[in-house]
Formats: sequence, C-alpha cells, structure tokens
Amino acid sequence: METLVLPAVLDSLDAIARFVIDAAGAAGLSRKATYHLRLAVDEVATNIITHGYEEAGDSGDIAISAALSGDALTITLEDSAVPFDPRSLAAPPQLNEPLEERPLGGLGVFLALKNVDGFDYARAGGKNRNTFIMRRQSVEAAG
Amino acid sequence: MAFTCSIEVKNGVATLTLAGELDAASAGDFRAKIEEAAAQNPRALVLMLERLDYMASAGLRALVFAKQKMGADVDIFVVAAQDSINETLELTGFQNSVISLPAYDAAVIERAAASA
Repeated sequence: METLVLPAVLDSLDAIARFVIDAAGAAGLSRKATYHLRLAVDEVATNIITHGYEEAGDSGDIAISAALSGDALTITLEDSAVPFDPRSLAAPPQLNEPLEERPLGGLGVFLALKNVDGFDYARAGGKNRNTFIMRRQSVEAAG
Repeated sequence: MAFTCSIEVKNGVATLTLAGELDAASAGDFRAKIEEAAAQNPRALVLMLERLDYMASAGLRALVFAKQKMGADVDIFVVAAQDSINETLELTGFQNSVISLPAYDAAVIERAAASA
C-alpha cells in the first residue's frame, strides 16, 4: 500500500486527484469509474481541508493511500482534524428547489457517497479515516 | 490541472468558456468571472463546457452564485457539457435549473435574452 502525505490545503487537491487517477489506472478502472472515484475523494478531501482544518483555525496533513485486491480498489484518506463522519449529513439535498433557494450544505458529501461502490468512516487514535471502495470489473463483465 | 475561464459579453448575453478542471481550488476564478459578467447586467448567461473535463460540487455552488448575482430571470445555458458533468447535474437535480444544449444555439439564446 502506497501512501502520500500532503498539507491539507486546497492546492493539494490536484496531487490528490493525480494519486487517485494513477491508482485507478493500475486497477484497470473504466474512465467513468475513475471519474466517479476521483470526484468522491475530491469532495471529502475538500471538506477535510475547508471544514475540518481551515474553519477550525487549524492546519495539518492529509494522508492518502491505495490498496488493490482482486476485486476492488480501496482509497483511504486520513486526517487529524475535528471528528467528522460524512455520513452524518444524512438528508439528501432538496433536489427540486429553485436554484437560488437550494441549501448547499451536504452537496459534496451527497455526490461522494453516490459515486462509489462502498464507503466507510472510522475515528481512531485522534484521526478520521475515510475509505472509498470501487469494484474492479472483470474482463468478461466489461464486454 | 489548469482551469481557465474566458468571458465575452455581447448583445446582453454573457458567455463564459471553461476549460480544464473545476474544483474547490479553481472555483474562485470561476466566481470572479461570474461577478465580472454580472456587472454588465446580461440577460442570459451561457457556459461553454466542451473543454471542461471535470466539475466538483464547487462548480454547482458557483451556478447558485451566478443565479444570485444575475437574478432569477436570467437563464443559464450549459452548452456541450461532457457526459460525466451532465451526470453530476442530473444526480443533484441541477439540470432542472439550467438549460442544457448540445451545441451553441444562437436563436434559442437570443430569444431567452430578449424575454429576460
């Protein structure tokens, strides 16, 4: 499992995306699945940077790692910011409101959870751990 | 990856051409261009997205910002968006708030500007 540690600032989103795209390539994910996974990780990483650290007047690192198994690619994001479980933004956004009246909270998390095959959150040892799982298609299924 | 946004305002229509990747890091640039366009009181906003390869929720928030800045009467056109971006707009219901066109359609856009 390779791990990349980056400062939790918006400028790191690019490196995080490149990491996810490279891992998706190694896993043989389709272009669409790669986009979905990149989007999910980007949204959660953005929340960690802006809500986890910045708004708390804090700074720190994000660690991203990838693990490949026979049937899935797992990306893990770890940070030491305030405890935050993305799944706690439970209600789906109001999808039918006029644009200017849409509440914007939870939109990123909604997109993240909808775009991956599996998601898990755990808090341990003073760290948030967000885990994203994308199934690898078998060669037969891709046809 | 680089994000660029160019702006043109002509005959009451503001056209923003986006390219690259729109995420939380680049959304500030986009919002600045939206403000610049809004200052000219356009009657329609056209977003040319053919070369936009990626859009996170920050891009969706910028659409809300655009509506707020320009007023509810100003139609927002999303032109030639790539499949994954259309998918994001549909998933979040944002496709109900914009007018999606596969290609630039001057007649449709000018009609919207005239009735705004």
